[in-house]
Amino acid sequence: MIEAKGVALRYPDQTLALKNIDLEIQPGELIFITGPSGSGKTSLLKLFLGMEYPTSGYLEVMGQLMNPTQAKAIRKLRRRIGPVFQEFKLFPGRTVFENVLLGHRFLHMPKTDLKENSMNALEKVGLAHKAFSLVENLSWGEHQRVAIARAVARKPLLILADEPTGNLDKENALKILNLLASFKDNKTSVIITTHATHLLDCEKYDKLIAIHHGVLQLERIG
Amino acid sequence: MMKNYRANAAYFIKEAVTIFRFNLFSNILSLFSIALIFFIFAMMFSGWQISNHAAEALQGEAEINVYYNQNIGTQGIFQLSEKIKGINGIKKVRLVDEKEAYSRMEKILGEESSVLKIFDENPFNPYLEIKIDLEQTDLVLNGLKVLPGIEHVRNNKEVLDRVHSIAGTIRIFGSLVLFAVGLSTLVIVSHMLRQGIEHNREQINTLRLLGASEVFIGIPYLLEGLLLTMGGGILSGLASEWVVRKMTVQLASVLPFMPFPQAGVLCQQILFALSALSIFLGIAGSMLALSSAKPD
Repeated sequence: MIEAKGVALRYPDQTLALKNIDLEIQPGELIFITGPSGSGKTSLLKLFLGMEYPTSGYLEVMGQLMNPTQAKAIRKLRRRIGPVFQEFKLFPGRTVFENVLLGHRFLHMPKTDLKENSMNALEKVGLAHKAFSLVENLSWGEHQRVAIARAVARKPLLILADEPTGNLDKENALKILNLLASFKDNKTSVIITTHATHLLDCEKYDKLIAIHHGVLQLERIG
Repeated sequence: MMKNYRANAAYFIKEAVTIFRFNLFSNILSLFSIALIFFIFAMMFSGWQISNHAAEALQGEAEINVYYNQNIGTQGIFQLSEKIKGINGIKKVRLVDEKEAYSRMEKILGEESSVLKIFDENPFNPYLEIKIDLEQTDLVLNGLKVLPGIEHVRNNKEVLDRVHSIAGTIRIFGSLVLFAVGLSTLVIVSHMLRQGIEHNREQINTLRLLGASEVFIGIPYLLEGLLLTMGGGILSGLASEWVVRKMTVQLASVLPFMPFPQAGVLCQQILFALSALSIFLGIAGSMLALSSAKPD
């Protein structure tokens, strides 16, 4: 699913965010990426989503080479990825249902399937009863769940969740982690970045990757 | 792919309205600003049309008088006028007889026309009044020189040349001003639309990260742009029609010698120009604005 060899990422301001990353992720794996703030977790997810390109090394996501010459194909690749952004990036002024629908209505799917997928995703995250509320009227945790519903409604093969436990108390953070983990199946991989290592249950994950100062320091099989 | 866009038609319209409502105050301001810019354009356009009309009328009035040998008889006058009509650049040939020449002079002299009464007989000769194409004045004059039966040609060449020059200047100046105003309108409107799109830059980039195509992302903004420019076009069209109707009446009473186009025709031309401009700017402005909203 993901293959990285000697990947490095240097930002235009010359900050070296990732150094020499070697990594292999198989379909159906649940991966946690941990590390302190600024360690390079988000940068790694950005590479997987094609928001940044490796400055050196080789990176392939679902068979797609990730480099600037492939921008158009990477745009299409994103349709098979369900991203949950750290700051949610929901669409204000729209209802919860519209937000989830808008996340995949540009895919070539029948209208009824689009609506059904959206409602099913909202049921999975426990927000079906708020489907027609404006997103502005939701709590922080509910925003988080709408973002997850939007990511999973398109039935992606790869779910990328960036710090989904940030700003949540322990109980809610656990709920969100368990919810995200529940979307893993034999085809779908889930990659979650978090600095809340104390919440992780080693029986649930397939791999734990620790990053420090842009260097992959630890890869542990769950 | 087209099928997908058709299926999303209702969404695109709803989304355009949502985007409009989301920045309601700013969009209403933009709407009125666009209406104002279009109104300025409409006024410049009407000025250009009026000056063009005046230039055409001036050119249409360009005439020369041909005095012929009085002995050629009625048949000779007819033959001469047919020959004149055959010259390139001649628009119309008309016989002005002695009576008409006399009454024209009476009109010109006005209160001083009593001076004509000192003549026992009508002192004016009949002549052929010829309307010409100013562009071909020299050709016409050369053609007339070789025709038999002509005694004298009063050509007012200096006046005709000046009329030609004034008409040309009016046209060129009017076109330049209209072009400059049109260009400024394009720049200002596309900048306004770009500002609107900048407000939604984050949403645009989120859709890009979710894998939406540029066309899917762009259509609602294109519709919003059209909504703004066409709304502005309608408002400015209504204001322009009212002003133009009032203005032409006022101007006609202040400058009775000046030929003005009919208000109805002028309004139709303005409305047509505004409609075309609204559609063009709505599409071109939104596309320019979208292309400038690059990903973060």
